[in-house]
Amino acid sequence: MPGKARKTPLKDADRDYLALGLEGSANKLGAGIMKHSKDGAATVLSNIRHTYITPPGEGFQPRDTALHHREWALKVINDCLTKAGVSMNEIDCICFTKGPGMGAPLQSVALVARTLSLMFNKPLVGVNHCVGHIEMGREITGAQNPVVLYVSGGNTQVIAYSRQCYRIFGETLDIAVGNCLDRFARIINLSNDPSPGYNIEQEAKKGHRLLPLPYATKGMDVSLSGILSAIEAYTVDKRFRPEGGTKDEDIITPQDLCFSLQETVFAMLVEITERAMAHIGSKEVLIVGGVGSNERLQQMMGIMAQEREARVFATDERFCIDNGIMIAQAGLLSYRMGYKTPLAKSSCTQRFRTDEVHVAWRA
Amino acid sequence: MTISISQSLIQSSLPISQGAEAKVYKAQLTPDSPPILLKYRFQKNYRHPFLDANLTRSRIAGEARALLKCLRSGINVPGIRMVDATEGVLGIEWIEGHSVRKLLPGGAEDDGSDDVDNVDVIDSVNLNEYGVSVDELMKLIGVEIAKMHQVDVIHGDLTTSNMILRQPGSFVPPQNHDIKTALVLIDFGLSYQSTLAEDKAVDLYVLERAFSSTHPDSEPMFAKVLAGYAEIMAGDWPAIKHRLDDVRLRGRKRSMVG
Repeated sequence: MPGKARKTPLKDADRDYLALGLEGSANKLGAGIMKHSKDGAATVLSNIRHTYITPPGEGFQPRDTALHHREWALKVINDCLTKAGVSMNEIDCICFTKGPGMGAPLQSVALVARTLSLMFNKPLVGVNHCVGHIEMGREITGAQNPVVLYVSGGNTQVIAYSRQCYRIFGETLDIAVGNCLDRFARIINLSNDPSPGYNIEQEAKKGHRLLPLPYATKGMDVSLSGILSAIEAYTVDKRFRPEGGTKDEDIITPQDLCFSLQETVFAMLVEITERAMAHIGSKEVLIVGGVGSNERLQQMMGIMAQEREARVFATDERFCIDNGIMIAQAGLLSYRMGYKTPLAKSSCTQRFRTDEVHVAWRA
Repeated sequence: MTISISQSLIQSSLPISQGAEAKVYKAQLTPDSPPILLKYRFQKNYRHPFLDANLTRSRIAGEARALLKCLRSGINVPGIRMVDATEGVLGIEWIEGHSVRKLLPGGAEDDGSDDVDNVDVIDSVNLNEYGVSVDELMKLIGVEIAKMHQVDVIHGDLTTSNMILRQPGSFVPPQNHDIKTALVLIDFGLSYQSTLAEDKAVDLYVLERAFSSTHPDSEPMFAKVLAGYAEIMAGDWPAIKHRLDDVRLRGRKRSMVG
């Protein structure tokens, strides 16, 4: 609870610890090296990422994404070690994403982790992807006990910590917000480079007409699939002009749709976050996940926080979008609490809820 | 610039708290009338003004409509005293009592920074003052929700914060009842009408989740709520129960064992 600092069960490091984190639950392959020093500081030694980018109008398929990860794994890990200036022998543990995510890409990366573990005789630590995001967000921003909005291509959750567990207060009842944005980008043929969400954000800045869309908050949950159908319906409206037009005409442009989609879904997300904050009486909010790098979402969250005298914490794309260092951070925290994943249990799972993890390192 | 009647009423009222959606005030319509609770849905600046105005208007109107329907059907909800949908102001009966959240273990554990002006927090509140046990309270919750669902009102945001036990002193029990209090459902800001078992099940599921995220060992407590609910719903219960089981499985990335 805020205000009441309890003693953390995590002991001060008796020496410097190094962890390699490997992430590949979706279309980003990431490797990072995290150092926990004796003085309590956590340092990012390197954080390398390579993204599998598909042509406009196409999403990433599990099989092709897994292939991408296999092709790039060694290059990314080598770059990561070189940049950090450490050798595999100095590493304390190898952390990998156990889930949730896409099966095939997860397995490819876990296989690399297992191989490295056997080759260099290093312990493995399986990490929950969502917890990775939260721990990295806390480390980078210094937020103590925030309500977390975790928004990405595969997840949309409002989370708060309570009694050694990240509890899910609200979540999407159908598709994730990033999935909703990505699929809309495909409908209007936006580029996937650097990411569909980024391109929607840029297009939305040119839109000015707010079109009515469903606004579906249910308690602290949201539903997004109906909005996707509704916005898709506008692209077959007779007023729709894919090539745009002048401001005064009664037309609908792709920019207007991007604008309306962002304004509506982000308002819903900020609303459920605010409701969770009011419910538990928290004065901090942390945004993590790929969609969290959207500046309009950060701005809206900032206004909400300001109005209730709370603080908003957000990170930039290096730590928001899936990366290896967050896996290293969460993995090293649990490793320092004595947790290791034996080889026989180093499997992956597509379904792995945030609230299933025992958060041993927090009071 | 002239200010509206609603705005001037707010300015002369005593602020009580600020929730996620609205600011709450204690006000009086005339100098010697009983106090009322003003709920002011202030502008949300993070939302597009157009979207915000539409939402505020439809939520105030919807809330008033749901309260009226409940009142007509004999469900314990606050009475309506005034409505101004364009300004976003709703005036309802002032209820003396405590929220169920504060009366249950775990619920009052927060730092209370939202309620610094609220004397209730400092008082040690316990259920004994109300003459009901935890089990009885759970049953009251189930019964009240069932009565509401029977007239096809879906609350949309059932949490333990949105239920108040009336202070025994301010309550006249109906004849032949020895119960000293009543459970009042509040905050119908997200409510809507539906006859579907699905919507009723989701309503219960939202409450179940609120229970488990706020109160430790909530499972047996929530089972009692459902028992009270089932008793009133009678023949409609099996269909809703079936749906509730479905809805529980629906959250994303639940482990699907078996």
